[in-house]
Formats: sequence, structure tokens, C-alpha cells
Amino acid sequence: MLWLCICLPLLPLEALQPRTMETPSVATRRQGNVQWVWCCNAPATQAGLQPGMNLTTAMAAVPGVLALESSDSAQQEAMKRLAAWAYQFSSTVIITPARSRPDDSAPALWLEIGASLRLFGGLRPLITQFEAALEPLGYSYRLGVAPTLEGASALARAGIRKAATTLTALQARLKQLPLQFLLLQTATSQQLMTLGVETTGELQRLAPADLARRFGPELCDYLGRLTGARPDPRPLYRLPPRYHARFEFDSPVMHVDGIAFVLRRLLHEFVGFLRARDTGTQSFTLTLLHREKPHTEIGVRMAAPQRNFEQFLLLTNEHLQRTQTRSGILAMELRADHFAAPSVMNNDLLAGKAEHGDTFNHTIERLTARLGEQGVHGLRAQADHRPEASWAPEHDRRQTTSPSFPVRPPWLLPAPQRLSPSTLPTLISKPERIAAGWWDTADIQRDYFLARTRSGALWWIFQDRRDGSWHLHGLWS
Amino acid sequence: MNAARTADEVLQQLAQACRGPDRQRQHVPSGLNALDVALPGGGWPSASIVELLPTCHGIGELRLLLPALARITRSERHVALVAPPYIPFAPALLQHGLKLAQLWVIAATSPADALWSTEQLLRCKSFGMVVAWPAQVQDRAVHRLQLAAEAGDSTGFIYRPSAAAREASPAAIRLQLHAHAGVLQVKVLKCRGGRSGALISTPIGTGSLQEHEAVAAPQPSITPVEATGSAG
Repeated sequence: MLWLCICLPLLPLEALQPRTMETPSVATRRQGNVQWVWCCNAPATQAGLQPGMNLTTAMAAVPGVLALESSDSAQQEAMKRLAAWAYQFSSTVIITPARSRPDDSAPALWLEIGASLRLFGGLRPLITQFEAALEPLGYSYRLGVAPTLEGASALARAGIRKAATTLTALQARLKQLPLQFLLLQTATSQQLMTLGVETTGELQRLAPADLARRFGPELCDYLGRLTGARPDPRPLYRLPPRYHARFEFDSPVMHVDGIAFVLRRLLHEFVGFLRARDTGTQSFTLTLLHREKPHTEIGVRMAAPQRNFEQFLLLTNEHLQRTQTRSGILAMELRADHFAAPSVMNNDLLAGKAEHGDTFNHTIERLTARLGEQGVHGLRAQADHRPEASWAPEHDRRQTTSPSFPVRPPWLLPAPQRLSPSTLPTLISKPERIAAGWWDTADIQRDYFLARTRSGALWWIFQDRRDGSWHLHGLWS
Repeated sequence: MNAARTADEVLQQLAQACRGPDRQRQHVPSGLNALDVALPGGGWPSASIVELLPTCHGIGELRLLLPALARITRSERHVALVAPPYIPFAPALLQHGLKLAQLWVIAATSPADALWSTEQLLRCKSFGMVVAWPAQVQDRAVHRLQLAAEAGDSTGFIYRPSAAAREASPAAIRLQLHAHAGVLQVKVLKCRGGRSGALISTPIGTGSLQEHEAVAAPQPSITPVEATGSAG
């Protein structure tokens, strides 16, 4: 087993933030009546804030600080989305349960990568690809690679990027590792400090029996799992059959622009999920949740199953630009229930005709997203004598027969336009009698003529034989 | 924002200039021999915008394009009609040889939507020709469409009111269409890489323009008129 640990030190904050913040921001945790700073972003750290501070103190020190109260559910949702996304790199994914222990300040995610190494061509290419995919999600992270779960997370917390691929190599790295990077009870580490124990190596030199007597069996158990001396079974994350992701905003977002950052993240994660399942989708639904129903539902549909982030984003944005939100957005959900293997996989893999067809579908989807289903259609000719019934819009591109007709003008008016008998253009043809539709309600009895207007245009006009009125019906454009 | 976009356009123009004028363009015969003679390359050039300025509807202004559109639909590529002023009548289009499965109608209601759709379609290599009837169009927009047509190697036909002949336009070809005594007169106002000023006449019948002239007039006549200078 070789574990890649992704340590997410700022997840409590980043699970709540609709965008990356330039202003000092902290996530807080409530204990009784007191709010504590749990984690700080880079600007907050630079301003001198630290985890463990009282929020009142922090606000006095940095007046402009943005404090968000951490939410276990938001964190858990973020974790689940990340796990589904990460599944594309490994089918063995483990996540920390929310609030596994009170002083566990760094949520983490583990992937078993030993089995994936060959697929990606080695450790370095895997890490490179992994980071390239992780970067756009907008999380702060640290990576550690080791044969044990706790070993990998200790290396990640310490910022040791050099992978330990064997237990021996892990032991060598742990030897010099300061105790602060281990997951120890605060009381335990303080006592060890007073004993003069500063590194993991020094801790390991102490007799296990003494340690157990002094600090309880948990410490020995932890050290055993850290070094691989003891097994460390954990429940595996399972990929859900359907996709349902949720993001809760810490305060209502009033404009759709405010959700852009989160939307990108959700779509990236969704594409990761599709890759993990090696499938694509033809439709997904984005729901903007408001305080009061109805919620805003945006159905995004595509011509063919796919999993292209850029295309998903483009189509969703087309819809969003046309969406009027009545009230603030409290949360956002992304759902997909039906999946199918993409007909065209990654653009970069296939060239030529496949790409041709791909961009064609993309263009039609973009137009449909902006103009609506009715705005983009084909044409069909139908064997019917009535001009208005001899054509129809075509939406499903089936190959149709081509009935033959007498000569017809390229333009047809949506409805015949009545002409005044005094200003009739000059008739220049014999009549073509069209009497049809007696079998249904749209009965017509007309004599059609060619007519030339004074400005030189050629018109297709008819006289209604039932009342003698004249109408313009087509133009020889 | 505006400055940035302008700079971007200038860069693209520069890039185009560096590519040189001998960039490979496809030419699709118009179906009218006299017009093909007047157009450089012998037909409608790809990667170009063609402006058509008819005086009114119903003078053969669409049939002027139908032979070329039919040829495109019978190849691998598609054709789109954006914001047509009336219903493109399927029976007539069939009679002119168009393959309807390769034809798309885009019902864009606002001028902005029409131009946006035209640009998207031109940029897409699957569309060989895009015909648009935008309610209004400005120089800037024509320039954008020109860049899109180059990106997609397609031909964009833009119908504009006849009055627009007085304004300059970045379109590669500008044709004024005028009917007189049952004859359609096509005046070449501007023709990049060719001569402007040619006047092509063809009788307006009910069939295709070429077919009809074989009956009514043996050969379409081409008359050089006084060079009024390129309008663009």
C-alpha cells in the first residue's frame, strides 16, 4: 500500500468561501459562549492571527477580519465532493469523518496510489497530474506520500513532499520529525516537551510499556499505525450511483456573478466524478436554493454524453445569464442521475472527424442554451398541398423523404397578409388552384398567382375563392 | 475593457497580415458565371464576409446564394440561416437542391443574439456558410464576424439594408442588389482582391437564377460601369 495524503488545512474556511479572499479571513468554532479562531488564511496569518485565538482578541488585533463560523455539514459536503473527484486517480479513497476529534485541525483525504502508479507512468507523473487537476478546485493543500495513513498525513502536515515509498524510508523521515506534526493530545505533547522529547525518533526510543502507562494505550496504538507496526483499517469511501453535490453560502448571494467561483469548483468536481466512473452525461441540473420556494432550477442538456469542463461551464453560463433570481442564493446544488459513455472523449485525444463532430455538437448546444429549444431547428418538407402544411420545423434530424412540389417561393409568410384590391401587383401567371384540407379544419380554396410589384419584386399571392379576398403568401427572394 | 479588446483585434489583424495574402481560401461557384468572373478565385471565398444590400425582398436576393448553399449541404458541412425575415420555405429549398438535413434555422430575436449566433456558427468548422439577417449591424460587428469566418474557414453572408451602401464596411465583398424591369442587377461595390464596379444582370424568374436566364437571356451580361471607388 502506498498512500497519498491530501491535507486540507484551510478546509473549514474554504468550504464556506464563495471565492478566494484577499482580505484576512478566519474560520471559527464555538465552544459555549466563546468563539475560537480555528484556521486562518494567508492574509490573516500575515496580520498576526493564529489558530486558538479568541475571536474577540483577533477582531481587536485585525479590525477588518472576516470571520466565518465553521460548519460541519459544509465541510462534510466539500469532503464528499472531493472524494468523488479524487476517485479518478484511485478506487481506494478514505476521508476523515467530520470532527473526528476535537483537536484534529487538519481534515484530510487519502488515496491508495500503489495500484495506480503503473497507469500514470510512475509516482512523479501521477503527482504532477494530480496537482494539475486539484489546483483549479481552489483549495489550499499539502501532500504527503507514505506506506501508512498516519505516516502520509504526518509528512503532509510537516510539508515534507519527498515521498517515503517504503517503511524504512518513512522511518528515516519520521526520526527528525518534530512532535508538533503528530496527532497527539495537547496534554500529551506538553508533558513530552517537559521530558525533553522533541522529535518522533526520541519518542520512539522510549519503552512502549512506559508510554502506555503514562499516556494511555492510544499513544502506542497511534505510533504503531504511524510506522506500520499495527494495522489501520478504515471505512472506504464509496462512489454514489448518482451525483448530488451541494454548496452552502455563509450569507445569501444576491447576484449570479457571486457564484462563479463555486460553480467552477462544482463543475470541476463533477467532471472528476464522471472521469472516476469513466462515463459522461447528457444532462445535469443546477439548483439555486433561496430562502423561499420556488428554487431556481437550471437544466443543462447536451446533444451527446460528455464530460468536458469548459463546455459544461459555457452552457451553464449561457443559462445563468438569462436567469433572474428573485432573492438571495443560500445554497447551490448540482445533480445528475443519468450517465452514458461519452461519444467523444477528450478533445485532445481525438483529432480530425471526431473533433469536427464534437465542435459541431458544442456549437448547437451553445446556441440552444442561449436561444432555447425553439430557437435552433432544421426544416422538413411534408407532402401536403396546403403551403402552410407543406413544411415543418425539424428537431430530431431524422432523414426524411423529399416530396415533390410545383414551383415554390423561397420565402413563406408566417401568415398570409391581406392585400388591398386597389393596389394589387401585376399578375404574370396562370392560377394554380389549391383546394385541400376539407378533411380537417384547415380547409383552403385558393388560386395562387405570380405577381410583379412596381419595385420589381416577385410575389406569390392568392385569391381566396370563398370570399374573393387577395393575400400575399410568399416572396421569390 | 474596450482598449483591451481593440488591442486584441489589432494583434489578430497583425497575425493575419503576417500570414500573408496568399492564404488558401476555398471558392464555391455562385452558379452565375458572370458573377464568378467578377469574384476573385471564381466564386464565394471562404474565410470571408460577404455583404448583400438588396433594395427590397423578393428580387432573387436569396436565390443568388442557393446554388452555393446547396453545394455546401451536399458536402460534409452545414449551412445556417440566422434570423431570416420570413419562413425559409422547405419545398422551395428542396427544389433548389438543398439537403435539408444539413440546414439549420436559427430564430434569434434580438440583434445581439443574431450577431452572437452568427459569430458562433462561423467560428465552427462544421458550418461552411452562414447567412444572416441581423436587424442592425455595425462596422465593429462585421469585423468580429470577419475574424470568426477566418477562424472557421467559412463564408458569412450578411443582408443589410440598401442604405448601408453609403457606409464603409470591413466586409471582403459587398454587393448591391437592385431589381429593374424583371431583371436583378448585382453591382459589385467592393471586392477584396478583385475589381469593384462590375454590374451583373440576370432575369428574376421563379426557378434558379441561372436556369432561368438560359431561357430568357442567352448569357448574363457583364457591363463595366464607371468606377465609383470601393465603398469599403
